[in-house]
Amino acid sequence: MYAKHNKPKLSRGVLDMKFMQRTKAKVDKEADDEQGRALYSNEISGNMLNSNSNFIIEPSYSICEGLIDGRLSFRGMNPELERLMELEQAEKQVKTKQEQPKEVSDVEMAKYMQRKFNGKNDFNKRKPNAILNNKAFKPKKQKHHFMKPREDDDSGEAEA
Amino acid sequence: MTSSNFVMPGDRVSSIEDLAKTKRVILGPGLRRLDDKVVASKAGPLRHKEPNTFWVDNYQRRYVPARGDLVLGIVRAKAGDVYRVDIGSADVATISYLAFEAATKKNRPDLNPGDMIYARVLNANADIEPELVCVNSNGKRGKLGVLQDGFFFKCSLNLGRMLLRENCPALGALNEELPYEIAVGVNGRIWVKAHTPRDTLGLVNAILSLENAGYAEIEKVCGNLTEVMQT
Repeated sequence: MYAKHNKPKLSRGVLDMKFMQRTKAKVDKEADDEQGRALYSNEISGNMLNSNSNFIIEPSYSICEGLIDGRLSFRGMNPELERLMELEQAEKQVKTKQEQPKEVSDVEMAKYMQRKFNGKNDFNKRKPNAILNNKAFKPKKQKHHFMKPREDDDSGEAEA
Repeated sequence: MTSSNFVMPGDRVSSIEDLAKTKRVILGPGLRRLDDKVVASKAGPLRHKEPNTFWVDNYQRRYVPARGDLVLGIVRAKAGDVYRVDIGSADVATISYLAFEAATKKNRPDLNPGDMIYARVLNANADIEPELVCVNSNGKRGKLGVLQDGFFFKCSLNLGRMLLRENCPALGALNEELPYEIAVGVNGRIWVKAHTPRDTLGLVNAILSLENAGYAEIEKVCGNLTEVMQT
């Protein structure tokens, strides 16, 4: 339980943003499921949890048959609706495109890229390995760490 | 999708039982599980959709609500915080006045008895009234809401479902004849709207002529739709 409370959560302000709508739906569903589980936890018997049946009951024809939405408009009868239909169609096409089989496998691609960039990989070669492996040697990056922030910058942030 | 065989209520469907030994199986309407047995509870052709969905496609005119279905309903009355909506099921469905886009406690949707709505079934349980909504999970209206004008008629549940199958040629064939707008509910209710009353009635006749067409004949019947519409 303790671990669940500590799970990082996105703030409501972030979730209300327009581009976060999908994540918001997901988070809402998770919270709903959690609540449902908590609500019925003492009614669910061990038998119900442990019996692994291979049957799933689905009472809706629309889901079984994969029916489309029944609200349609053709040839400019209802432009608003047709726009929605187009958007849906486009979304569907994107999904089917992703399902297309790869012509080049990931392994082949990796090999190809390795070959391609082997010659140009002087960047790493030029650095002596000793520098990369030697832990005593401080990487250049850490220098930034010790830089003193400007004072006026700091005060400005505090006010904000 | 194949129509393999017919089942009667009480028939054991052993083909599904065999399949369920190795993988998960989805049992749709018309099929029941009794421990490890699968028994049909309706009479009709047993349908199968890849990979593992089964259901019985029986002839029926009485709608049984199921969660997620898109239905056409007629507002019957206002009752406090909800509207009572007739969706053709055994019990009258309810829809909260907050279940519309941009509705608030102060800003109620303008719905009156007799209005036609296209809604989604949110809750369907044998013991309580079905509940509808006219918004999606983001609070947007989408394709749901009130239907203005047009013409409404009832048909069998099978016809409604047939029109909504993904590869059904009927709606496309009608589209070649004239521009129109349609709302098909899986509860066997259809609403159509075209530019003139004559066109609208033509559409209605054409759709109802498909009532007795099976999966196999539908393409042939769709070829004749033009004649039906002109008479």
